[in-house]
Amino acid sequence: MLFKNNIGFSINEILQYYIGNEEKFIASKSWHGILKIILPHTFVFGLFAMVILHFLVFTKQRYKTSTLVLIYTMLFTAFAEMFSPFMIINGYEIFAYVKLLSFVTFLSTILYTLWLLFHSIVYD
Amino acid sequence: MKFTLVKNIQKDSAMSLILKGFLLFILLYLIADVLVMNSSFGITVDTITTTLFGNEDEYIDPINEASFLEFWHTQIFFVMMILLTLNAIFIRVANRSRVINTNILMISAITSLISLVLAFYVSNFFVNIYMWSYFIWHAMAVYMIVYSFWKLRAKSV
Repeated sequence: MLFKNNIGFSINEILQYYIGNEEKFIASKSWHGILKIILPHTFVFGLFAMVILHFLVFTKQRYKTSTLVLIYTMLFTAFAEMFSPFMIINGYEIFAYVKLLSFVTFLSTILYTLWLLFHSIVYD
Repeated sequence: MKFTLVKNIQKDSAMSLILKGFLLFILLYLIADVLVMNSSFGITVDTITTTLFGNEDEYIDPINEASFLEFWHTQIFFVMMILLTLNAIFIRVANRSRVINTNILMISAITSLISLVLAFYVSNFFVNIYMWSYFIWHAMAVYMIVYSFWKLRAKSV
């Protein structure tokens, strides 16, 4: 909801949010402004991922390759989601797709991990 | 924090990977914190003094009390969380000197928080203490992150 409300789910809205829009009087984001926004997110994303993922170690998923893939995916998408705006404001507009895709994937990995944990609690 | 119960973190590939990822994010936070503080609050005595007390010559107003307390409040929370999580990992992987390292980190971090509020309410003398303790705890935290990361890469204890 916050992402939709502040940025938007379309590529144009993401570009508009970071690059700005003169007609709509939207100012572009600066390097410092983005850094200020992602500063608390940097620690919290890492903490959140660690807290959710480390419970998997105590389920039957522990020694599976898919668990390692899930860990890499969650951490990588969290990193990409936070730092892709820097590339957007530097002119690499394709990173708007990276921003959107990494946001969706990060949330999906969280939901999938929660599902695995609940499944383990109920059936294992 | 269940990883405290895992017998050998280095040999557990999943837990080791999770902790290494988390350490990386903490490191990014510490680097970003210095950059943001440099641009918004100040990391030198002059810039911190200007932020807290203003500068008449440059027509800069001091930070108001509400904004300062909000800033201090968020700093307390994040310092607490980083100290808790980083120390929990470090004491699991470090064999020697973990007591002195964790003490240096905690004392310098708490000193920075206390000296910051004393600088605002009591005397600008505490700005110096705040600046030095701020850099000491950041440097110690970076050292503990790099050390923990290196130990987690080891194949055996």
